[in-house]
Parts: sequence; C-alpha cells; structure tokens
Amino acid sequence: MVKYSLEEVEKALYKPSTYGPDVDLGLYTSDSAKTTEISGRDEIPVEARKAGERFGINVESAMYIQVDESALYRSLEKALGKYGVKIMPTRLALEKTDLGREVSWRLIDPRSDKYTASAFLHGGEVGYFIYVPRGVRVPVPIYTCLAITSNRRIQYAHNIVFVDEGAEAHVVTGCAVPHGVREGVHIGISEFYVSRNARLTFTMMHAWAEGMHIRPRTAVRVEEGGEYVSYYIIYSPVASLQTYPRVELSTGARAYLASIIAGSGNGIYDQGSAAILQGKNSSAEVVSRAVAGGYSEIYARGSIEAFEAESKGHIECLGLLISENALISSIPMITSRKPGAILTHEAAIGMIAEKEIQYLMSKGFTEDEAKSVLVKGFMSIKAPGIPLTVEREVERLLDIITRSALG
Amino acid sequence: MSLEVQGLSVAVDDRIVLRDISLTIPQGELHIIMGPNGSGKSTLLASLMGLPYLKIISGRIYFDGRDITKLPPYERAKLGIALAHQNPPEVKGVKLREIARFMLEKYRCDDSAMFSKLLKIDPLLDRDLFLGFSGGEKKRAELFLSLLQSPRLAMLDEPDSGVDVESAEIIAHAIELLIHKKSSVILVTHTGLITNKLNRIDGVHLLIDGSIAYSGSPDEVLPVVFKFGYRRGVEILKGGKNG
Repeated sequence: MVKYSLEEVEKALYKPSTYGPDVDLGLYTSDSAKTTEISGRDEIPVEARKAGERFGINVESAMYIQVDESALYRSLEKALGKYGVKIMPTRLALEKTDLGREVSWRLIDPRSDKYTASAFLHGGEVGYFIYVPRGVRVPVPIYTCLAITSNRRIQYAHNIVFVDEGAEAHVVTGCAVPHGVREGVHIGISEFYVSRNARLTFTMMHAWAEGMHIRPRTAVRVEEGGEYVSYYIIYSPVASLQTYPRVELSTGARAYLASIIAGSGNGIYDQGSAAILQGKNSSAEVVSRAVAGGYSEIYARGSIEAFEAESKGHIECLGLLISENALISSIPMITSRKPGAILTHEAAIGMIAEKEIQYLMSKGFTEDEAKSVLVKGFMSIKAPGIPLTVEREVERLLDIITRSALG
Repeated sequence: MSLEVQGLSVAVDDRIVLRDISLTIPQGELHIIMGPNGSGKSTLLASLMGLPYLKIISGRIYFDGRDITKLPPYERAKLGIALAHQNPPEVKGVKLREIARFMLEKYRCDDSAMFSKLLKIDPLLDRDLFLGFSGGEKKRAELFLSLLQSPRLAMLDEPDSGVDVESAEIIAHAIELLIHKKSSVILVTHTGLITNKLNRIDGVHLLIDGSIAYSGSPDEVLPVVFKFGYRRGVEILKGGKNG
C-alpha cells in the first residue's frame, strides 16, 4: 500500500469532486465493517435477494455479497475453486496477502476528492478482492452484489481485481437498493489490474433510488497486450451519480468502455470514461448511450489521451431525449501528445425518429411498442467478449429499462 | 369486395398531394399503379396504410365494407393490410429477427420458413434492420416482413426498383405467391419492368400529378405507356377512348 500522511488525506475530506453535485457526507452514517464467510445458500440475507431481483441477477450465484458494510463471501466455492480464483473481502486480503497490501490504493489516490478520502479514512475496507492466477481462463462469470438496505447510510466498498499474466476473467457486479430504501450514499473504490496478455471483462449494473448519491471511483491498469472491457448500465432514478473511470493502457493494450445511462426522475447522471494511451499500439474505444426521460440531466463524458504514436482511440457518445424536461450534454474530449496517434470522436443527440416509428406502426406495432423497440435498439451496445450468459442478462435488463424509460 | 377508395384527397405539410382518388380493388386481384416520379404513388399507399404524417382532407377508405379512414396503421395491419415500403428506414441496434419475431407472434404466420427460404432471408436475420443492406436485400427483407402479416391486401411500393435480375425474379415469385394465397395486391412501379414477369394483372392505374389519369387493362395501357411515356400515353389512351 502506498503511504499517505493522514493529515493530507484528512484535508481532502473537504475537497469536492471536479464533476457532479457536492454531497454533504456529514448527513449520513455508516456501520462498522463486518466480514462473514458463508457456504450454503440459506445464509444470504433476504434484503440482498430483493436487491438482486431488481436487475434479475440471481444473488445465490454471487461469490461476494455486501449488505451495507457487512461482507459475505464464499472463499471455497467449488465452481471457481477449481480455477484457483481467490475471492475475499478486501480487508482480509490486506491482512493475509502481500499482493493485497501491495496493490491497494495504488491506482486511486485517496486525496483525489472527499469521497476517496472518506472511503480511505472511514471505510472499513470491505468490498471484494478477486485474484485470478497466471494463465487461468475462467469461463464462468464471477458474480458480486452490493446492496444498501437502510436509509441515510453511506456504503463504502473497496474492490480490487487482479488478473495475472495471460489469465482471463469476467466479473459481474450488481449494485442496488431493494424497493423501499430511498436515501443514501454509495462510494465504491475499484482498482483493477489486468496483467500482461490478460483479459478482464467487467459488467456493472446499477439500480438505485431517487434519493441516492452514487460516487464510484474506478481506475484500471492494463499491462502490455492486455485487454479490458467494461459495460456499465444504470437505469434507476438517483439523486446523483458521478463517476469517471480511468483506464491506463500499456503497449498493445486495448480497452472497450461501454456505458448505458437511462436517466429518469430528477436525477443528475454525470458519467464518463477516460482512456490513457500510454503505450505504442494501444487502443481504446469509448461508447456511450444516454436516454434522458423525466426531469433527468445526463452529462456523458468521454476522454482519450494519447502519449504514444501508433495508438488509436475513438469516442462515440449518442444521446436520445425522450422528455421535454430532460437534458443531455455530451462532452467528448480527445488529446494527442504524439504525432501518429489517431483519435476521433462522434457525438450526437436526437429524438426517436418519427419515420422509424411510423414504419413500425405500419408493421402492426402500436406507437408505444414501436418506441420501445427503437429505444432498446438505440441502447443496444455489443461489447466484445462478454460471456453469453451475461449478454442475456444485459438484454433482459434493457427490456426492463425500455419499459420503465417510456413509462 | 376488398378495398374501396372514394374521393380521397391527402395533404403533406399543408400541401395537397393526392386529389379526389377513387379506386376499387376486388379481393384477390393484382393492380398496378404507375406514374412519373413525384406523382403521389407512395403517398397513396401510405394513406391507405394510415401513416400519421399524412392528413386526409376528404374522402373515405373502405376495407371489406368497413370504414377505415380514421384507423391507425396498426389497426389496419391487424385487418390484414400490409405495406412494403419503398425505402424502409435503416435502424441501428434493432435486428431484422426481432421485428420478424414480433410479427410472427402477432400474426401467427405458418409459412415463415418457406417465405424466408424463397426470399433468401436467413443471412439477413441477425443484421441491424436494413443497415448496409444492398438494394435487393432491402426489397427482399421488406417483402418478407409484409408476407409475415399474411396480408389480405398487400401494397408493394416499387419492389422492383434498384434490384439485380436475380432479386427481381425472386420478388416476382413472392408476388405470385401472395396472389395464390388470395391476397389482393397493389403494386406500385415506376419503371414497370416487373410487369412482364407477372402471369396475371387485373388492372393498371396511371397516377399523374396526384390524380388517377387513366385506368384500364394491362394489354391496353402498358404498351402505350412503355412506348410513349406517361403524359403522352395518357393523351393517346384518352383520345383512343373518346374517338
């Protein structure tokens, strides 16, 4: 672990984030952290099951479940055990493993803003730690689930995934509140390491509530020849979401960063993806789809910065306004520091095309059916290499999203 | 009796595009509508389908004796009216298979496998709807969707334009199949090329400047139009009738 002086981090407790509305964390409390190893299925709390139902994830298959500040995990689960995958709460990894200590808080500086500082100082280092051994390809998705079950709480999670050289893993995380929980804060610190020629796909689905402030802080390091694919979906109302994951890419490394933001209610959704092309032949694609309904505001950011020649990056931010009172702002940014890097971007905001609606109506679709098919089609992003089971879950979720978006 | 149009006038953006159209298409017959570019052929089919961008100024449309003038398109589709669009929109993210599946559920067509084979649809099913399709692929896919409706009245808007010879043959076969299944067909064609691939045509209507300028049998109308063009052709046809 990198050492910071506590004073420095404490100072950052008052530092607002560059983006998104400022949240007064003093209004919320958090429990003290607890970790429990579970083996059977009966030990999964009913609140976690209810939270999982919101995006159709079967919580029973989750390797790591966090309810508020309480971490439940299965370290000896058979399906993953045979691959040698290690899963435990991060605080155990810090106690028990050199690797955990070495990589924790290395990609994310706790002094970045008040949320990282608060997680560093007040979080109990729960969250999941996943280690995938060298050369091991894990075909089954590793499910994790985080839920907040009571009002006016801060949930901290510090997640670390380390995919060792030549290995491959698919991590799926669902974060939700069960129906009934209205207010709270979720601060998720995620540090992912994709080693040489390794591959990680990360699918994250968020279903929160209208009084929740969500502040994920994510940084990813992809070593030579590695590949990172992320697929982020948020579809519930929120008070605010602000996140801007950063991916650093070494020589020949690739990233595909997809986000689907379905805004509703009065939520402010400030979501971006940043790629830093540090190595030759590195490449990144940032793709986002924003659908704004109700009184929501969506800020879709994308940034690619190239430090090396022969690197390539493309940003595609597409927005669809489906309400008179909503707003979408698309902010793609490309920066090159080396001749020979090829960076492009494309941003467009529109509405559902009348011609397409009328076409489908002539095929027997009602106007609402036609709109929902088109909105779903608009949101469909095919991310490369996501396992089929996960793709189906995403597909199901998009159906739910479309139905709720068009209300 | 299938379709009866009485004195139909239609506007697009306050501009009158069709004037006082009257037309009868008996069940199971194949009628051709021809005319120069911009004469209102596509607008006529779109009005019969009830597309909301058109405004009906006057007149009535009856289908099987029922007044459908004010019915929305999906209600008309339910009654068995299908429109194969001239330029179907390219829709990113929506697969042809999804639309076909929806229509199968709605219309329970039993012959979808046969239609798919006839129109060579299989390779297109998992592609985004019409996106990057060739001319022939577009026409075949659009005709396929119309067939899935098991229509009682199929309106085909220039299914023969911009297609290669092979696709034109296939499309003509599909039209014959529709007739065989007792569907009425209104075929809009600009070039008329497809007419000599069809076994039986029951009527030809020439649409010029938004009005039906002449209706007659194919043997009477087609040779004159192919030789003299639309406007001059109509003059000759009318002169012939008068004299």
